[in-house]
Amino acid sequence: MRARFSSLVSATLIVALAGCSRQDERLRQHRKHFESLGATTAAIGEAWLAGSVSGTYTLTALDQTFRLVEQEQTALASKPNTLIDPRGAALSQAAEKLLRLLARLTEDVRSGDAGALRGHLAEIPIKPSESH
Amino acid sequence: MSAIVDLILGVVTSIGGFVEVGSISTAAQAGSEFGFQLLWAIAAAGLMLAMLVEMSGRLAAVSRRSLAASVRERFGIHFQAVPLTAELLIDLLLLAAEIGGAAIAIKLLTGIGFQWWILPIGLCIWLVLWTCGFAAIEHGIGLFGLVTLSFVLAAWRLHPSPLDLGAGFVPSLPGHDAVRYAFLAVSILGATVSPYLLNFYSSGAVEEEMSEKELWVNRTTAYLGTAFGSVVSMGVLVTSAMVLQPRQIVVDSYEQAALMFVPAFGRWAITLFALALGIGCFGAAVELTINAGYVAAQVFGWSWGANKPRRDAARFTTAFTLVLLMSLAIAVIGFDPLRLTMISVALTVVVMPLLVLPFLVLMNDPKYVKDHTSGAIGNGFLAVLTIVGALLAIAVIPLEIMGG
Repeated sequence: MRARFSSLVSATLIVALAGCSRQDERLRQHRKHFESLGATTAAIGEAWLAGSVSGTYTLTALDQTFRLVEQEQTALASKPNTLIDPRGAALSQAAEKLLRLLARLTEDVRSGDAGALRGHLAEIPIKPSESH
Repeated sequence: MSAIVDLILGVVTSIGGFVEVGSISTAAQAGSEFGFQLLWAIAAAGLMLAMLVEMSGRLAAVSRRSLAASVRERFGIHFQAVPLTAELLIDLLLLAAEIGGAAIAIKLLTGIGFQWWILPIGLCIWLVLWTCGFAAIEHGIGLFGLVTLSFVLAAWRLHPSPLDLGAGFVPSLPGHDAVRYAFLAVSILGATVSPYLLNFYSSGAVEEEMSEKELWVNRTTAYLGTAFGSVVSMGVLVTSAMVLQPRQIVVDSYEQAALMFVPAFGRWAITLFALALGIGCFGAAVELTINAGYVAAQVFGWSWGANKPRRDAARFTTAFTLVLLMSLAIAVIGFDPLRLTMISVALTVVVMPLLVLPFLVLMNDPKYVKDHTSGAIGNGFLAVLTIVGALLAIAVIPLEIMGG
């Protein structure tokens, strides 16, 4: 009886741990993609400020980055468990901020306002950390 | 003298025609995610391609038959139905991805949505095929494609460490994301060893009436052209690794990939990237389209040839036109070209044994290649790489899709 009980506990623990590690891995992948998109936003903005890329490319690239953030956010929200997790909720909020920021950056480029764009680039909510 | 000119032209056009949507996207992703660590995959895939291209040229020169026609004759239509269907399906997806890649290149320059460019690009492909002969198609594409050497120039300007580069040629396990690493290795193999290249090359050799005397030209062109072409693919990977990886930018779109040129070329970066992507994709799309016509005509015994007046090869023309129309339909639906590319190149590796193994049998049959049969080492290397690649692809594609 005791042996059966301990087997059941072990099995439950294994399933729970596997579930946790899958959840951790999923969140890690989402974080990696959001950080990459944050870094992309910074790179596009900096290239425009340096005069290395045209306004046409900058607007196209910002628009594509906006779409990718939206897609990643949808993928994140597609698993309710991920959103219950505080790390998932924080990522979702950061994604929302990044979307708003991308909209502002697009306006800055359209109006040719380099100062405003420089200021907005400093506000990117999710960027790669040094620890990677 | 003529053989030397053919050789130089062949090598130059091989370099120019090497890089297309598959090699750009797989190498850019590999570089941005794993640095130089997947250089070995490009080298192994390049060696495999060189061996297969050399074999397809040898087959055509000795037997005066193309690859598809030989397989049809040797194994019969019932056997060939499966690889034929697999190849045509992969070609359809890849053609849609190439057209999408060319359309994105124009979008990078104009800012106008890529879907608007799909039909005009389709029309241009068809006009090229309607008006040009084989030599004009092959050499024209190859010469314009030399703009892809800008990937090598970019890598050169970034001064990568020779030691780090050397380490990339030694296969090693990644410190993170092992499934993704395996998926990218498989995708690089699929992007480099596109099945259409083999039949396109052998059909070209038949059209150009390559003879047994020119086998050395065939061998040199295949190995040198593929080696230099692989260097261009490596240029994509190295540039991506040096520019995008330090910023932890993972390539999910061509707009991101274009950023890899900024440190090397400044103001010219996007224009050069768009030209390299656009010309590479357009050239591959033309070759894929005509190859679909070649395969269909050779399997069903119709009259074929890019050098023939179109009215003398009406069913061949109809076949490539239909394939082009179907691919345009797929591209117009609006699939993300980058994802479509990654799926098609990974699936290529799954179906590769169906296409490569019968080819190996042919290359050991004196009825087709007389005394020019392949050696045991070559046979073994190609068979092992094909089967291991396919098994790995079957394992990692579902994991990658579930993970993605």
